Amino acid sequence: MRQGEKLTSHLDWPLLITYFLFLIMGMATVYSTALDPDHPNLFDYSQKYGKQVVWLGISLFLGLLVFLIDSTIYRKFAVPIYISTLVLLVVVLFMPPINGARAWLQIGGFGIQPAEFAKTGTALLLARYISSLNIKQQNLNSVLVANAIMIVPMILILLQPDAGTFVVFTSFLFVMYREGLTYDPLVLKLVNTIPGVKFKQTWVGTHFIPIMFAIVFLCIVTLLLSNNTITFSFLPGLIIPGFFGVILSLIVFCLIAFLFLRFISTKRERRRITTVIIIAFVLSASIASSVNYLFQGLRKHQKDRIELFLGLREDPNGEDYNRNRAMAAVGSGGLAGKGYTNASVATIESNHVPESETDFIFCPFAEEWGFIGTFILIGMYMFMFLRIIMIAERQRSRFNRVYAYSVVMILFYHLAVNIGMNIGFAPVIGIPLPFFSYGGSSMMSFSMLMFILLKLDSQRSHVLQ
Amino acid sequence: MNFDARKYVIIVFIITVGLIYIVRLFFMQVIDDSWTLRAQEIAEKRKQIVPPRGAIFDRKGVKVVSNRTYYNLMFIEDEIKHLDTAAFAKVLGWTKDSVALRFKEIVKEQGTYRDKNDNYKKKPNYQSDRPYAFIKEMTLEEIATIAPHLDKFPGFYEEITSMRSYTYPNGANIFGYLSEVNEEEIKEDHFYRRSDNIGRAGIERFYEKELRGQKGIRYIVTSARNNELKPYMDGIYDTIAKQGPNFKLGIDILLQEYGERLMNGKRGCIVAIEPSTGEILALVSSPTYDPNLMVGNRNIAKNYPKLILDKDMPLFPRPLAAEYPPGSIFKLLQSLIALQEGVITPESGFPCNKGMVGCHNHASAGNLMDAIKFSCNPYYYAVTRRILQQGKKKSVFADAEIGLNKWHKYMMSFGLGQKFDADATGLRPGLIPNSAYYDKWYGHLRWAFSTIRSISIGQGEVKLTPLQMANIACIIANKGWYYTPHFVKSIGNKGSLPQFRVKHRSMIDAKHYDPIIEGMRRVVYVSGGTGGRAKINNEEKIVVCGKTGTVQNPQGEDHAVFTCFAPMDKPKIAIVVFIENAGFGGTWAAPTASLMIEKYLTRKVKDKEKEKRILEASFKN
Repeated sequence: MRQGEKLTSHLDWPLLITYFLFLIMGMATVYSTALDPDHPNLFDYSQKYGKQVVWLGISLFLGLLVFLIDSTIYRKFAVPIYISTLVLLVVVLFMPPINGARAWLQIGGFGIQPAEFAKTGTALLLARYISSLNIKQQNLNSVLVANAIMIVPMILILLQPDAGTFVVFTSFLFVMYREGLTYDPLVLKLVNTIPGVKFKQTWVGTHFIPIMFAIVFLCIVTLLLSNNTITFSFLPGLIIPGFFGVILSLIVFCLIAFLFLRFISTKRERRRITTVIIIAFVLSASIASSVNYLFQGLRKHQKDRIELFLGLREDPNGEDYNRNRAMAAVGSGGLAGKGYTNASVATIESNHVPESETDFIFCPFAEEWGFIGTFILIGMYMFMFLRIIMIAERQRSRFNRVYAYSVVMILFYHLAVNIGMNIGFAPVIGIPLPFFSYGGSSMMSFSMLMFILLKLDSQRSHVLQ
Repeated sequence: MNFDARKYVIIVFIITVGLIYIVRLFFMQVIDDSWTLRAQEIAEKRKQIVPPRGAIFDRKGVKVVSNRTYYNLMFIEDEIKHLDTAAFAKVLGWTKDSVALRFKEIVKEQGTYRDKNDNYKKKPNYQSDRPYAFIKEMTLEEIATIAPHLDKFPGFYEEITSMRSYTYPNGANIFGYLSEVNEEEIKEDHFYRRSDNIGRAGIERFYEKELRGQKGIRYIVTSARNNELKPYMDGIYDTIAKQGPNFKLGIDILLQEYGERLMNGKRGCIVAIEPSTGEILALVSSPTYDPNLMVGNRNIAKNYPKLILDKDMPLFPRPLAAEYPPGSIFKLLQSLIALQEGVITPESGFPCNKGMVGCHNHASAGNLMDAIKFSCNPYYYAVTRRILQQGKKKSVFADAEIGLNKWHKYMMSFGLGQKFDADATGLRPGLIPNSAYYDKWYGHLRWAFSTIRSISIGQGEVKLTPLQMANIACIIANKGWYYTPHFVKSIGNKGSLPQFRVKHRSMIDAKHYDPIIEGMRRVVYVSGGTGGRAKINNEEKIVVCGKTGTVQNPQGEDHAVFTCFAPMDKPKIAIVVFIENAGFGGTWAAPTASLMIEKYLTRKVKDKEKEKRILEASFKN
């Protein structure tokens, strides 16, 4: 730290305030969900909210430590940090399983999940590796090394098994994409083996990651919606077949995107944007149509499988049981919700939605605050993500930028999957909602991610690289 | 190479997902109601609160039917953990086997259904996650020995219910009783749920909709294990249960009690009505039963078979449903019709020649009043002949047809031959024959007065219920009109039902009642009168006007009947006493009626000897 500089100088206040708002909202929701009327004290350590207060305190203390330490150590110690998280991931595999997964390390009375901290370790090492590369060095070798940094912890996590965190690790693909580390060298190598073909770049290979995710998302949504019709309680005569609804939504989205992009783009780019959007619409409409057509043509048992996976079918004993109840909790919130501490479906006490204080914490929040609450919540996350992207883009150091993108993509994945499973857009894979879900490991790891980012950002001017 | 443009891909990606989620949430939370319904299905329980039924008071304001708290021992099988049957049986005071048997019995009680989704296989209705009563309707004393131990037996708990309680062991046939609703009743009226009670007879049945009150509904948040957690939304959607309104009856419970006591050991009935209002003061059906015997399903299961198999039929409401020939009291009506038709005058005399019809030994009646006093059969043979055969047609048969149908109309105007629109169930119409009735028996124009002459003295085809007999006394007391006899004076703040405030008039002019009333006085107070025993304390302070009747009974001893009203000048009570197999009406029925009148008008009975004689009499074979 330079002399005479305050700890809080160059601190990104909007991000920090949003973070604190999330902490307060999360704490309030954990309290409401886990509330035991006999122990209403927030600081009652026999209750989950009491414990969460402790975790919160520890997290903030760690955050303070991060602020006291000069940010250069993350770059310097990225390798040891990464390796120690890997060691923890290996050690945890020899622990007794809890709920069928070897995900917990017992330290004293508390358990921590190394997988949560592995995200930070991987983000730091990836940042360090990518920042050490020359921009022109985007060859097969660098792509493979970057992927290896990501894949090694993924394999260890899969061995636990922890499908949720495994999926979250694919968020680093977007980070690599942003830095130009795509699968293009791999694709090129394959394509150029064909005699006579000599590509320098392939569009598919370059944009493979976002395209793949868009397609997966589109397929899931199409399957979900095409199976039921859309009706409106205020327009009783109007019944829209699901598939038509998908196409309709695509048109609406393309129009909105078109208007939005027109608004922000320069004149020169407008024609290109129009072309891109038309192509995107035609492509996605045809993908949706073919998914729909293929699905209708499937045999019954295959259809059953997919429907079960997507939660279109009642399966009271299976995983879908949880999601159905979670969706009932969310949907019953209405416009304004049932009121704070008035959730009836998603509380620990009623236990209709299991894990309502951890993986399904969005349920009690949506039930108590209704659409107004969920709209504000998602709006706040959107603000936080865009703010972090803004922070990322203003970094002079590539290390900082890669790290910031890692943070935003990890948080985004958590949000998308966690809320997705509450609203039927994702299968039930247990991952916490950042800053909301009860649990020490996730609270500490998300706070560490956030504070390291804030620290790096506050010292961005020191770094000349 | 510059990759900065790729940040837009990521931004668009994030914003798109955010927007899609918001739209989806808007659909789920605001537009689509099905998730709300699903949530209710999952987490809410509608719990009905059954209010206590309306309380019933007698005309003096004595609470005669009230509610008492009872306790059900409930259980939910899924919540029972490691039941120590031996210890549990010990707490209940049962044997181990009977506990096991009771569980089986409960499953059996619920019955079975055919599962549509499983080849229509029979499956039990019983569900292990639902509460059932292990022991129903225990008193406070009974539950007090069990309740302290219940915490050792998870899955069992006590539940409060309310049941009827009767201050006096009387009036069972008036009040009726309650029992559990059956499947059909549940289907018919959505008010009811399984194990609710419904009125089965009497007032409880007739006024079921009023007495049952309004159920309250509590919405409760339940856990996945079906535990009740708290009121839903702090109870803003809950409705409060409302008890049925208080009922005030015309019944005088002390008179009722006295009447039941007097009729002890006899079969028959007493009906007392206030002529000016049509309110029933007492309605004794003998033999009867203590209404407390039919409280609660445990008692009903025990006592109902006994009562229903009793050959004296205590459950049968005789005053409303038994149809007897009226005997000589019918002569009052014949006199009235004859006077109205102008076929006799009060001074008409007919000889007591026993050629066509028998009579007891008395001087011939020189006028109508004495004919009533003597209850002269030949006199009424002649009177009725004049009514029916007025010589309007040449053919005696055609003439009788016209006469009978006219007579039938008069009788209908006295409320006979039809059911009263009273507030009771199980009423019977009795029988007043018309020409069509006899045409069926004998053929058209194949009968005349001589064929059907026994109706002239209230025998033969004529049948009345005791309630109709008592109502005749009311009509005479009122000189020509009556209100439909009824039990309930007022419901809550409202008065009686509108149909009880409509005056029904007989087709007889008021002036024709005077000789009849005088005749009825002579029955009691003039020597040679058949009803001398109806005198109260052998005084004339309260003048009783009555008419005896002896109903011929081919199966055994004749039935005794006495109908009367008192006091003569301002009638306050009209009464009929009908005692099966008691022989001559003046001997037993008349004194019983006089005791009832005295009890009602003076609140006590002075003539203890007369009372003792009636109390000790028994006409049951």
